[in-house]
Amino acid sequence: MSTDPNQAVACRTVDAEERSLLGRVLDRIADHCRARSLFVLHYCTGCGAIELPPTMTSRFDLERVGMQPMVTPRQADILLITGYLSVKTLKRVVMTYEQMQGPKYVIGLGSCTINGGMYWNSYATIKLLDRYIPVDNYIAGCMPRPEAIQQVFLDLMGRIDRGEAQAWKDYYRRYDWYLGQQQQLFGTNWQAPTDVVGEAIRYRLVGEQTLGSHTAHLERYAPYYDQLGIIRPEPARMKARPQLEVVSR
Amino acid sequence: MNRELESLDAVFREMPDLKVEHTGPRRTRIQVEADALPTLLELLKGRAGYLHLSAISCVDWPDTEEFELVYHLWSYQVSNLISAHTRIPYDPGRYVSVYDLHAPAVYFERDIHEMFGVWFEGCPDQEPFILTEWQGPPPMRKSFDTVAYVNDTFEWREYQPEWANDPSGGKG
Ligand code: SF4
Repeated sequence: MSTDPNQAVACRTVDAEERSLLGRVLDRIADHCRARSLFVLHYCTGCGAIELPPTMTSRFDLERVGMQPMVTPRQADILLITGYLSVKTLKRVVMTYEQMQGPKYVIGLGSCTINGGMYWNSYATIKLLDRYIPVDNYIAGCMPRPEAIQQVFLDLMGRIDRGEAQAWKDYYRRYDWYLGQQQQLFGTNWQAPTDVVGEAIRYRLVGEQTLGSHTAHLERYAPYYDQLGIIRPEPARMKARPQLEVVSR
Repeated sequence: MNRELESLDAVFREMPDLKVEHTGPRRTRIQVEADALPTLLELLKGRAGYLHLSAISCVDWPDTEEFELVYHLWSYQVSNLISAHTRIPYDPGRYVSVYDLHAPAVYFERDIHEMFGVWFEGCPDQEPFILTEWQGPPPMRKSFDTVAYVNDTFEWREYQPEWANDPSGGKG
C-alpha cells in the first residue's frame, strides 16, 4: 500500500468533487459536535488566570456549555493564554501549541497578548501573540471579567460550529513565516521538536510559505521533504511580510 | 539586653569601621567596606546567629559608577534583619562570592550576574538563569534603555477604532 498521504486509498476511484463534497458534509457534522465539547488548556503565566476559577466553578459554570479544563496539550482543543508571555515562556507555549492535535484553537486573554498591555515597555515580554502562533480570538481588558471570557467562548463555539475557526491551518500554510518570527527571538538555530512540515503534509496543508528560508535548516532532520514532491517556493515569489489579519472582537 | 544582642555588639567592637544604624525596631543597616564584608558575614554567622541570607540585592549607581550590593541577613534567635551595604566600582565589576558561607548565595549571585553583569569570584554557577534566551546587555543596568530596545525588537499593532464598535463579536 502506498504510504503517500496524498494518495487516496479506496476500492474504487473516488472522483475529486465527490470526495470533497462528502468530506465537507462530514466536516460540518464533526465541527458541529466538536463545538459542544471543548477541552481548554490554560497557560496561566499571566495575571488573567485568576478570572478562570470563577468562570469554571459554580458561579458561571463553564461546563454547561461543554467546556472543561484539560491538563495536557495533546488532549486539549483550546489553548488559553492568560496574559503576558516572556520570551522564555513563549518558547514553551510554542512547544505546547505544536503538541496539540488539529483542529486547535488559541485564545489570547487580556491586553498583554494583544499589544503588550501594561508590560509594553518590558524587554522580557512579547507584544503580539499572533506573530508567533495563530490566534483565533482575543479578549481585551486588563484583566477581562468572566462574562467577557464566556462571551468569547460562545463566539468561538459559534465559529467552530460554522466552520470558520480555521486559524490553526495558517500555522501550517505559513510555517516559514511563523518560524522566522520565532527565530528572531530565539536565535536562528531555533527549531521546535515537532515536525510541523511533516504534519502539514499529513494534513494536506502545505502552502506556498510552508517552506522557505527559515525552515531550510530543518531539512537536515527530515530529508523526505523533497521526496514528497513539495515544490519549494522561489524566494522571489514569497511575500516578505504577509499582512496581519487582525481578529477583532 | 539579652545574650545574642551582646554578641552583636561584640561583632561591632571587632570591626570598628562599620557604620551601624538601627533603622527600625527589627532592622539594622550596616555600611561596610567591600574588603571587610565577608569577614562581617562570617562574624555575624558565627557569633551572632545571623544564619539566614535571605537575599542579595544590587543597585546600580551610574553617578559614582558603582554597584551597591546589599546582603540581607536574618537571625531567628533575635528576630532581627541586618542589611549589610557595600559598594564596588563598575570597573572591573568583580566581587567575591559568599557561597562558602551561605550556600543559597549561588542563586542570588547568579541572578545579579545576569541582571547587572557583576562577576562573583568563586561562585560555582553563573550560567544564564532566568533570561536563557537573552542576547543583549545586562538589562537591569540603568544604562540599558528598555523602551529603545523594545521599539527596536518588537512591532506594535495600530489601534483600529472599529474594534470598539461591536463588542458582541458580530452577534449582538
Ligand atoms: S492584560 Fe493585565 S491582567 Fe492580563 S496579564 Fe496583562 S497586566 Fe495582567
